Amino acid sequence: MEGFVMYAVVVIYFLTVAFLGYLGYKKTKDSGDFLIGGGKMNPIIMALSYGATFISASAIVGFGGVAATFGMGIQWLCFLNMFIGVVIAFIFFGRKTRQIGAQSKSATFAEFLGNCYQSNKIRLFVAVMIFILMPLYAAAVMRGGVFFMQEIFGISFDLALLVFTIIIASYVIAGGIKGVMYTDALQAVIMFVCMIFLLIWFYKDLGLGFTEANQALTDIADKVPADYAAKGHRGWTAMPEIASSQWYTLVTSLIFGVGIGCLAQPQLVIRFMTVDSTKQLNRGVFVGCLFIFITVGVIYHVGALSNLYFWKTQGTVASQIIMDSGNPIKSDEIIPYFIGNAMPMWFSVIFMLCILSASMSTLSAQFHTMAAAAGYDIYGNCITGKRRERKKRTTIVIRLAVLVSIFLSFVICYYFQGNASQIIALSTSIFMGICASAFLPSYFCALYWKKATKQAAYASMWVGTIVTILGMIFFHYKEANLLGICQKLFNVPVLIQGQFSYVDPIVYAFPLSALTIIVVTMVTKKQEA
Amino acid sequence: MFGIADPQIWIVYILSVACVVFAAWFGIKYWNEEDDADGEISSLPWKNKKKK
Repeated sequence: MEGFVMYAVVVIYFLTVAFLGYLGYKKTKDSGDFLIGGGKMNPIIMALSYGATFISASAIVGFGGVAATFGMGIQWLCFLNMFIGVVIAFIFFGRKTRQIGAQSKSATFAEFLGNCYQSNKIRLFVAVMIFILMPLYAAAVMRGGVFFMQEIFGISFDLALLVFTIIIASYVIAGGIKGVMYTDALQAVIMFVCMIFLLIWFYKDLGLGFTEANQALTDIADKVPADYAAKGHRGWTAMPEIASSQWYTLVTSLIFGVGIGCLAQPQLVIRFMTVDSTKQLNRGVFVGCLFIFITVGVIYHVGALSNLYFWKTQGTVASQIIMDSGNPIKSDEIIPYFIGNAMPMWFSVIFMLCILSASMSTLSAQFHTMAAAAGYDIYGNCITGKRRERKKRTTIVIRLAVLVSIFLSFVICYYFQGNASQIIALSTSIFMGICASAFLPSYFCALYWKKATKQAAYASMWVGTIVTILGMIFFHYKEANLLGICQKLFNVPVLIQGQFSYVDPIVYAFPLSALTIIVVTMVTKKQEA
Repeated sequence: MFGIADPQIWIVYILSVACVVFAAWFGIKYWNEEDDADGEISSLPWKNKKKK
C-alpha cells in the first residue's frame, strides 16, 4: 500500500510538471518569450523560481550534512543567502539589471554584459565560460537527482538517469523559461511545505522547545569526535576556533564562497529580466527571503540538532554513525539517514519529492542558461536575415542547444557515475569561483560605475578566471589534491603549507579581479584622454 | 541566549529574522513604487539621503 501511494504521488508530481511545461509551451511565441518570458512574468513566480533555482539538492542534503558535522555556524550561510542572495541581489543588483536589460534589450547574462561594455568579445567570453563549465556543474546536480530517483523507484542508475533527463528535457525544450519558472514555482512550494512539516515534526518528536533543544545540544559539546576537536570544532552551537582549519573551510569556502558567489550566477541574474517593472522586484524580495529562511534555515537548524536526536536514540553523534554496510557515514548521507530514522515513512517519500524538486528546479535553469549561451550568444551571433525570421530561427536553434546541453550533461553524468563525484565537485567549485571572481566585478561596474572600460572588464574577467584556476591547482588543498598537478610538478600537494591551504581562492581572486578593473580603467581612460 | 552560549551563533538567528522582517517591510512599503523618468526610484531611503 505504501509503495502504491509513493508511486502515485511521484506520478502525479511528474504529470503536473508536464502540464506546466505544456502551459509554458503554449505561451512561448518567440526567442524573447523563450529566454526571458517576454519580460512579463508574475513577481511571485519569479521570486519562487529564483529561490528554487538558488537552492539545489546539495544545499539541502549536502549543507544539511555539513550542519550536522560543523554545527550551527553554517547558519551564517543561510543569512548571507538571504541578505546578499536576495535583499542585496534584488534591491541593488536586480533593479538596475532589469532597467538596463530592458533598455538594451538583453535576453541573457552574456548579452547584458556585452551590451553594457559594448563588446562582443566580452559577450562571447562569458557565454563560452558558461557553456564549458556549466555542463559539469549541471552533471553534479543531475547525479543528486538521479540518486534520489533510484532510491524512490528502486531502479538502475542508467534507467533513472534516462527518465530524469527526458522529463526535464521535455519541459525545458518545449516551455523555455516560462515552462522552467512555472515548474520552479511548484517545486518551491513543495520544498517550503516539506521543510515546515520537518521542523514541526522534529520538535514534536524531540519533546523539547527551541531554547531547551539548543541548550541540550550545547550540553553535549564534549561529545565532539576528537579528530574534529583537533581541527577547531568547539561544539554544534559554537563557531569553530578562529584560524583553525575548520574555521577557514566554514568561513572562506562555505560562507563567503557560496554566499557571495551567488550574486553573479547567470541563471539567477536572468530572472531579474523576466519582470516588467521595479515594483515587481520589490514585491518579490519578501517571498524570496522567506523561502530561503524556511528551506535553508530549517534544514541547517535540524541538521545541527540531529546530533541531539542521534545521541538520545543511538548514543552517538551524527558524524560517528556506522551505516548498515559497515562503513562510516559520509556527510551527505546524514540527512537522508536522519529522515529515514526520525520521520514517519510517508514523510520520507515527501522528502524525496522535495529533494527531487530541488534538483529539477536547479537543473532546468542550468540547461536553459547553457542553451541560451550556446544557441543565442554564441551561435545566434552568426545568424543573419530579417529580424522576424532571425527571431524564429534563433528559437529553434536555442531549443536544439537545450538538447545539446542536456546531452553533454547526460554523458558527463553517465561517464563519471562511479568515482567522479570528486571531479564533479571540483567543477562545481570552479564554476562558483569563476562566477564570483571573474563575473562579479564586471557585473557590479556595469551597473554602478559607468567609467569602467571594456578593456578593464575583459582584463578583470581573465584575471579572475586565471587566479581562481591557479589557486585551485596550486594553493587550495581540496582541489589541488584532487587534481594532483601540483604533486606531479613539485612533489607537494600544495605550494603553500599550513592553514592558508584551506583558504578558498575566492578570498584573493575576487579582490584581484576587482583591483584589475579599477587599475585598467584608470590606465585606459588616460590613454583615451 | 536561546540556549546558545556563543554570540557568533545566536546573533545570526537574530539577523536572519531581522532580514525577513526587513524584506516584508520593504515589499509593503514599495509595493506600488514605479521607476521614475531616470529609471530610478526617487523615494528609496538611500536616494533621499543623497538629496539631503
